[in-house]
Amino acid sequence: MKTTFISSYSTNQSVRTHLMKMQAELIKVEREVVTGRVADAGVELGSRTGHSISLQRDVERLSTIIDSNALAASRLEATQLGLQSLADHAQKYLSIMTAAASGSVEASISMSEADTTITAVTGVLNSSMNGENLFAGVNTDVTPINGFGPGSAARTAMETAFVTHFGFAHTAPAAAAIDQAAMQNFLTTVIEPQFMGPDWTANWSNATDETITARITLTETTSGSVSANNEGMRRLMMSAAVVAVFMDGNLNANAGKAVLETAASQVGQSISALGQLQAQTGIVEQRITTASERLQMQIDIFEGKISDLEGVDAYEASTRVSTLLSQIETAYTLTSRIRQLSLVRYLP
Amino acid sequence: MSLSTALSIAQSALLNTQRQTTIVSRNISESANPDYSRRGTMLSTTGNGASVVDIRRSTSDVLIRQNMAALSAWSGQNTLLNGLNTLDMDVFGSNNANHPSRLLGNLQSALQTYSSSPSNTSVAENVVETARQLVNALNTGSDAIQNYRTSVDREIVSTVADLNTLLADFKVANDEVVGGSKLGRDVNDALDQRDAILKKITEIVPITAIKRGDNDLMLTTSSGITVFETVPRSVSFTATAGYAAGAPGNSIYVDGVPLASGSGANTTASGKLSALVQLREDVAGGLQAQLDEVARGLITAFAETDPSAVNPDLAGLFTWPGGPALPAAGTLEDGLARVISVNSAYDSSVGGNPHLLRDGGANGAAYVHNTSGGASYADLLLNYDTMIGTPIAFDPAAQISGTISLSAYSTESASWFSALRSDATRATDNKSALMMRTAEALSNVTGVNIDEEMSLLLDLEHSYQASAKLVQTVDNMLAALLAAVR
Repeated sequence: MKTTFISSYSTNQSVRTHLMKMQAELIKVEREVVTGRVADAGVELGSRTGHSISLQRDVERLSTIIDSNALAASRLEATQLGLQSLADHAQKYLSIMTAAASGSVEASISMSEADTTITAVTGVLNSSMNGENLFAGVNTDVTPINGFGPGSAARTAMETAFVTHFGFAHTAPAAAAIDQAAMQNFLTTVIEPQFMGPDWTANWSNATDETITARITLTETTSGSVSANNEGMRRLMMSAAVVAVFMDGNLNANAGKAVLETAASQVGQSISALGQLQAQTGIVEQRITTASERLQMQIDIFEGKISDLEGVDAYEASTRVSTLLSQIETAYTLTSRIRQLSLVRYLP
Repeated sequence: MSLSTALSIAQSALLNTQRQTTIVSRNISESANPDYSRRGTMLSTTGNGASVVDIRRSTSDVLIRQNMAALSAWSGQNTLLNGLNTLDMDVFGSNNANHPSRLLGNLQSALQTYSSSPSNTSVAENVVETARQLVNALNTGSDAIQNYRTSVDREIVSTVADLNTLLADFKVANDEVVGGSKLGRDVNDALDQRDAILKKITEIVPITAIKRGDNDLMLTTSSGITVFETVPRSVSFTATAGYAAGAPGNSIYVDGVPLASGSGANTTASGKLSALVQLREDVAGGLQAQLDEVARGLITAFAETDPSAVNPDLAGLFTWPGGPALPAAGTLEDGLARVISVNSAYDSSVGGNPHLLRDGGANGAAYVHNTSGGASYADLLLNYDTMIGTPIAFDPAAQISGTISLSAYSTESASWFSALRSDATRATDNKSALMMRTAEALSNVTGVNIDEEMSLLLDLEHSYQASAKLVQTVDNMLAALLAAVR
């Protein structure tokens, strides 16, 4: 008769199997305690693995954008300083011109002030950061403003225009006969287009109108620089250039007045344009700052989600380790007890 | 009744006890052998006392069938899981570190850095370098997959050889059983041996055993292909020397009929062979197709466009032997991941210019976007990043279908594979538990319990002592009788 309900082989085998299972589990949980993350994320997350990878990738990209935002912000900060210094020069120049127009300043002083302003403005517009010219638009590897020395394209163009318009040079004795209206007309119809039209980029500036585009969030882009082709810079330059060129000739006092009045009016317009530009730049700076703050918040949320997905509760994991350890110890004790539980031991 | 009858009964009792003791001792000696079935003795009564007529082998056909099915399912599932883990390590590295989706993220970050300072040559070089790492991961991943398929073929060859040997051994054991049964010999040892071989066969292919006259067994696969009928049927397979993407491998033929492959993560494959075929075709094939689609997505996303929209789009940063033309949209190009490369026009180590990425024009002046030549022109760079996030059509043949962005597709691919691995891990746990459980149940019915054998031994000892006493007593009585006669 068959009376077996359990075989010795399966008694021993099941103890062995369970022990091995617990030991394998122990190794896994130990790793989780040490790293704070699930031992095998792929197996644990299954079809959500892609979600976790995409979150990690986004965190990395967002951090890169925050870094590049810092770069854009420092560029704008430098730009803002440049703009401020332009406005200061313009302001100072305006006060001189206003005085000069009323006749209380010597022509030579006006001229030297104009030269100083041109040099200073050129210096500011040609300033660079990290090897990039700040005011060059996208053409950052080229100095934006050409020089204005004798024989330079800009100066020659203005002198030639005078000759073409009046038939003689402004240094010629005949120039003394030009009256205020004719001079005013010449400045408005001939010289102003030279600055405000395409001649500006031919004679004065190498900058592009297009400015640097920067991505400030995953989906948002903004203009990240200011071009030297802006109205404020053009008018400021014109205001200084007309004084520097035409006051150094044979113009009579009335024609000179036309030049000085034009200069004053241009620099006035320039100041308001520069103010607007400063405001716009400030808005972009503000946008970048808030974008970076938003990105940082997003990163925090994403990292929270990643740790929800892959993280392990250290307390729970260490509890599991100690539970497993005591289970394994119990299993050892049981094994030896079961081993002793044999009829053979009791037979004489 | 006479004293001589009593003596002869006592003698036969001694003989019985000896034979039973032999069997108990055999049981004890085989107690640790999982393939051994416990033997029991059947006593029947005759005129001269009880005599052993039969040695019974404990067995249960139902439990054996259950155990075989569970063993087969576990073996298939375990093979699949091992294969998935191997592929995971070979292709994606530890914790998906080398997964194209992660490297694509690196590329996007590098592009972002480049777009924030487009005049900087070293960050431009860095973009090309991360692109190269991505291409490298695709190339080596593709190689690893095809090498894996080749190694699976080698494993199939050796497994098929094992199976043929086992079937030949099975024939020997089966012949012994059938011949012995016909002659009424004790065939228990041959039966044990035959069951052990059957278990091993079951791990390779799922087997249904049909019992016929004289203990003969006929084996078919669970789908009905005959594996053994009096003689073993041939199992044949020709390995493919080297695999290319998209090229299917050969089938395994059992008795001329191709063996079905398993499907699903909780695989339908029973036995090692179907799981190996599933790994080679479905899993490795699907993975390769997805890498190929990622490669196609990269070439498409980084394609150069003509700003005046006259010329066709041509391959940009990423190119392939069919370039500069783009691979056909929405169609899987087999093996593209193996041959995708970084366009040498961008590679400064071979005289290229990484800034072409900013300006456009790797395919000629018509493709230049940065016409003014501004060193900080970033629009095209930002556009590449947009293209990575723009949905394009992917081929459903790669097991992930739909119109999604390259960046989403790459993570979907990671999800697809991890889901397979995760489901297979769980299924392996379940199937292994079932296999253990059925093996335990079978062992409980057919195995030996030493305590039981020891108590039987005590019974036998007592019975032997009693019989011996009986012989002595009868001897004394006969002696008394003879003394009275004298």
